[in-house]
This record gives sequence, C-alpha cells and structure tokens, in this order.
Amino acid sequence: MAALVASIYRGISYRGAEGQWAWILHRASGLGIVLFLYMHIVSIFIAAIGPGPYAWVHATLYTSPPAKVLEVFLLFGVLYHAFNGMRIIIIDFFPALGRYQRTIVRIELALVVIVLVPAAIITLRGIF
Amino acid sequence: MATSSSRPYQGKLRYGAPNHEGRIWLFMRLTGLVMFITVVFHLLYMHMAVGVENITFDNIDARWSGPAGVFWRLFDASLLFIGMAHGMNGVRFSINDYVHNKILNFLLTAAVYGLGLFLILLGTVAIVLGVGGLGNLFQRLMG
Ligand code: HEM
Ligand code: HEM
Repeated sequence: MAALVASIYRGISYRGAEGQWAWILHRASGLGIVLFLYMHIVSIFIAAIGPGPYAWVHATLYTSPPAKVLEVFLLFGVLYHAFNGMRIIIIDFFPALGRYQRTIVRIELALVVIVLVPAAIITLRGIF
Repeated sequence: MATSSSRPYQGKLRYGAPNHEGRIWLFMRLTGLVMFITVVFHLLYMHMAVGVENITFDNIDARWSGPAGVFWRLFDASLLFIGMAHGMNGVRFSINDYVHNKILNFLLTAAVYGLGLFLILLGTVAIVLGVGGLGNLFQRLMG
C-alpha cells in the first residue's frame, strides 16, 4: 500500500515526462478494464440463466444514467489502453522510433480523441 | 519494479533462448496486438452498430443463433480467453510491483488467478449453453 501511494505520488510529482503519465494511465486503465471484465462476464452468465434476470442486468448495469457515465470512462480506458499499448508494442519492436516518442504520443492521443468523441456522444445522448 | 516487464525491450528475446519473463513479455504483446482488433471492434460494434440500449436478451440470442452464431460464439470465446489471460497477467505485474511481502504476494496472486479461472468457467458455460441455456438445463433436470 505504501509502495502504491509512493508510486502514485511519484507519478504526480514527476514533472515534464509524458512517459511517466502514459505509464500510470496505462496501468490504471488496464486494471479498470479488468474490473469491468469481471462484471461483464457475470452479466453474460446471468443472461444464460434466463430473460428475467438479464432484463434487470440490462436496465441496471448498462442503460441506467450512472452506468452511461461509467461507460464513457470505460470507452476512454479501453481506447487509451489499446492505442497506448500499440505505441509500446511498435516502439519495442522498432526501437529506432524512440527518437520520435513525443510526436508518436501526440498522434496516439489524437487518435484516441477522434474515436472517443463520437462514441461518447452516442453513449450519453439518451440521458440528457 | 524488479519483476515487472514493463521496461523497454532490451533485445533479450532476439538473442539466445527466451526465459520465462521473456515469453510473458512477448505474450502480453501478441495478445495486445490481437485485442487491438477484436476488443476495439467488439466495443465499437456494440456501441455504434447495435446500440447498448438494444442489447436485450433476444438480441444476444439472435446473434448467437444459426451458422453465424457459431462465429460470434468463437469470437466471444477469444475475447474471454485472451482478455482474461492478458488481464490476469497484468494484475500480477501490479501485485509484484507493490506487494513485496512474499506470503501476501503469493496469497494475492493465488486469489486473482482463482477468481480469474472461476470467471473463465462462468463465461465458457454461458457461451456453450447460450442465453437462457442454463435456466433451461435446470428446468429439464428438475423435471
Ligand atoms: C485492446 C488492446 C490491448 C493492447 C494493445 C494492450 C497492450 C498492453 C501492453 C503492451 C501492455 C504492457 C505489457 C508489459 O508491461 O510488458 C499491457 C499491460 C496491461 N494490460 Fe493490456 N492491452 C490491451 C487490452 C487489455 C485489456 C482488454 C485488458 C483487461 C482485461 C488489459 C489489461 C492490462 C493490464 C492490467 C496491464 C498491466 C499494466 C501494468 O503492469 O502497468 N489490456 N497491455
Ligand atoms: C459497454 C461496453 C460493452 C458492451 C455493451 C458489451 C456487450 C457484450 C454483449 C452483448 C456480449 C454477449 C455476446 C454477444 O451478444 O455477442 C458480450 C460478450 C463479451 N464481451 Fe462485451 N461488451 C462491452 C465491452 C467489452 C469489453 C471492454 C471487453 C473487454 C475484453 C468485453 C469482453 C467480452 C467478453 C469476454 C464476452 C464473452 C462473455 C462470456 O463468455 O460470457 N466486452 N459483450
């Protein structure tokens, strides 16, 4: 726990390095998606039990207003983790690209925003 | 940071036989590459093409039925197995980075893997039996 706090503190206080932020966010999004996936698997298992129980799941976990807001976090988390993970993979296999790290991070974030915005609008449309 | 493999590539895999952490390093990247296509597709398909409010019991039933249903079930199984394997291993990275007490580390890792295997079992049951499949099976067993 102390190590966790120290690590978060380091991430917050270590100014000027995009890499540190990118890493903290990659870890936080990865762990967040794992938690969602636990819930998600249980929800599909409930669908295997029957239509009645699944109707409750659908109304509560997927379409209620709080669920819609959390869903936007999920969209951001998955898109960020996916594009940042691809950046890590590409630079790991082509280390020469490391020189363009800053540019590549900017391209990555631009791609995340381009995909996230329409998806988030579609998700939140219903509740306003 | 000692056991995390989130460090940049250091040529370990290209030269000489890969060790265990080296194989895991590669595993995280290969599963990541696959999921970049499958998970992003699944997420956007459910949001943009289907619409989350339309994902009712009957909607899932329709997707999982007929010849195309076989494809979707295999696709969902790949999400389940690859996603859980990648995710559980990612959680292990965090445990190793933050929990240095050997016993606590072992107990936490065992708990995460135990829960993970249990959820993979639930997910597989759902995919094999289909929506409503478990309920029907119970009804038949109860007579
Ligand atoms: C969508 C495509 C994905 C890509 C391209 C991707 C890529 C990666 C990469 C490259 C790593 C770093 C591995 C290392 O440090 O050696 C990683 C870590 C991780 N991933 Fe993914 N991943 C994806 C999806 C997922 C999903 C769906 C989950 C959750 C089930 C997940 C959970 C994690 C976790 C928890 C970590 C560990 C983070 C850390 O130790 O800092 N990832 N991912
Ligand atoms: C809010 C966003 C999401 C929605 C609405 C959604 C919807 C669904 C639906 C309706 C199914 C049932 C199968 C089908 O109808 O084809 C399913 C299965 C599945 N999804 Fe998602 N999904 C979402 C995000 C994700 C994410 C981010 C992952 C990450 C890996 C994921 C992993 C899975 C897995 C593993 C299954 C199979 C579950 C099982 O075996 O019981 N989903 N999803």
